[in-house]
Amino acid sequence: MNNAIEVENLTKYYEKFLAVDRINFAVKQGEIFGFLGPNGAGKSTTQRMLTTLLTPTEGLILINGQDLARDSYPAKRQIGLVPEESNVYTELTAWDNLMFTASIYRVPRNERAKRAQELLETFGLWDKRDIKAENFSKGMRRRLSIAMAVIHKPSLLFLDEPTPGLDAQSIRAIWELIRQMNAEGTTVFLTTHQIEEANQLCDRVAIISHGKIAAIDTPERLKANFRRVQSVEVALEPSETLKVSETFRVSNEGLESLPGVTTQVKVGDKTRLYTEDPSALIPRVVHFAESRNLRIVSLNTLSPSLEDVFLEITGGQLGAVSQEEEKPARRGMGGRK
Amino acid sequence: MNFERIKDELAQAWTVAIKDVRVYYLRPGMIMFGFLMPFFMFFSFSVKRDVGAAEGVARLLAMTVFFTAGAAGPFIIPTERKIGTYDRLLAAPMSLMTLLLGKTAVGAFFAIAVSGVSLLAGLLFFGAEILQPGLLAAGIVLGAFSFSTLGLAFGSMPTTNPGDVQMPSTLLRWGLLFISGVFIPLSEMAPVARTIAYLSPLTYAQDVMNHAVLGSGAINPWLDLSMLALSGVLFLIPSVKMHRRARVLGR
Repeated sequence: MNNAIEVENLTKYYEKFLAVDRINFAVKQGEIFGFLGPNGAGKSTTQRMLTTLLTPTEGLILINGQDLARDSYPAKRQIGLVPEESNVYTELTAWDNLMFTASIYRVPRNERAKRAQELLETFGLWDKRDIKAENFSKGMRRRLSIAMAVIHKPSLLFLDEPTPGLDAQSIRAIWELIRQMNAEGTTVFLTTHQIEEANQLCDRVAIISHGKIAAIDTPERLKANFRRVQSVEVALEPSETLKVSETFRVSNEGLESLPGVTTQVKVGDKTRLYTEDPSALIPRVVHFAESRNLRIVSLNTLSPSLEDVFLEITGGQLGAVSQEEEKPARRGMGGRK
Repeated sequence: MNFERIKDELAQAWTVAIKDVRVYYLRPGMIMFGFLMPFFMFFSFSVKRDVGAAEGVARLLAMTVFFTAGAAGPFIIPTERKIGTYDRLLAAPMSLMTLLLGKTAVGAFFAIAVSGVSLLAGLLFFGAEILQPGLLAAGIVLGAFSFSTLGLAFGSMPTTNPGDVQMPSTLLRWGLLFISGVFIPLSEMAPVARTIAYLSPLTYAQDVMNHAVLGSGAINPWLDLSMLALSGVLFLIPSVKMHRRARVLGR
């Protein structure tokens, strides 16, 4: 299979500051490739270089085999770009925004209206086609921005943080659209710091940290390689009735000192105990509960999430990022003792 | 570059220009700096100065073209950088020259339209006569494109705040206005002042208007038109350089 993107020794200095440090990677055609990294890691800089908006200090970029430095025109025709900000023309209607983009990308005149109608229907904006984008919600502008990026049917779509700040319904709708475009053959390069987004969508992810590629693999293989961030999640409560403020402290005090626990994190009314060996830790947790006359409300083992891997690689603190959308592989016991 | 590509690029420049006309012409920044300012300047320096109708119309036309054409670039490009729409244009499959041509056309169209208003006012209210309409049209069009590229050079500075470039751009244009032959005819200037006046492209625009409206000027009209065309090309150079620099700096 040919590569949609090939990057060799890509480097970017902003004056003396090294933002991207000799990175190498390839994205296969038809892939959804996630580019993850904390703020300031170099992901947007990399994407801007790949989309010709920024000149690299050094290195080679091939888009569908074409060298960007030599002639960016053929590559630009094949690229669609959804930047972080929904850069639609707010003074124009949704329809005029699409017609403008179609004209700039030289979509044949007789196909423009048909294509615009298809996209507006797909993105749920057909009824709003004659309304100026200044009256659109953030989610609607985002969808319009994506529609503008794909009106010329690009073979390679760059999305920079497509969903932050959107409601859950809009996020799901955008994910579905990305999957659908990918199923129709579009290669997707997704820059995000939303770990769950990458987990849900990407065939492979690269994690960039301090300007260097720290890991690159499928999400599942990355997780499998980080066994040390497995965890046991337990919810305990005292048998006798206590004040709400006291319940958690009394029930969980001492858990972190159990043998094998590397880190303890409070997750809502539960405690997550990171360990390299969950099966050895479970009996200790059960014994801990019995010895203190605590009830086990729930007890689960969690395989490493992509977020755990990300934090481990980028030097973040385990449990420091919201766990609200985590989908752990639960394989342990639950319920009451 | 083959014929199809050239056709595409011209169509893209046209698309950019028409989009900007629709989006920006009625913005306060454009109206203030592009429409009202030349009239304010004209009345400030012409009222009670015993200026004849024909001379006044020639002066108003030159000032309108000069100020209006240069208003678009410093307002539109930083605004688009700020809201992120400029990236959409830079990432599109067209050359930088095509984009700059489109942006130049926006200011030029604005100047041509506003000079039309000035001309109409001159003809209807001051009874001015146009002795060489063809030369006048050529002067307005060439001047509009030339002065629009001057505005574009300022707009190309890597900033996202229109105010950062509008003020220096206005200051420079005032400078070019005062050294030019708009207020004092070239023939009445001291030799040193006249030499300095030749450095201002507005001098040539004013001279073309004088030829077209008054029937005489101090410089050969073909030289005037050539100098306007040349300054338009020269002003494009800093625009191209600053765009390339912005791509390196990431701004």
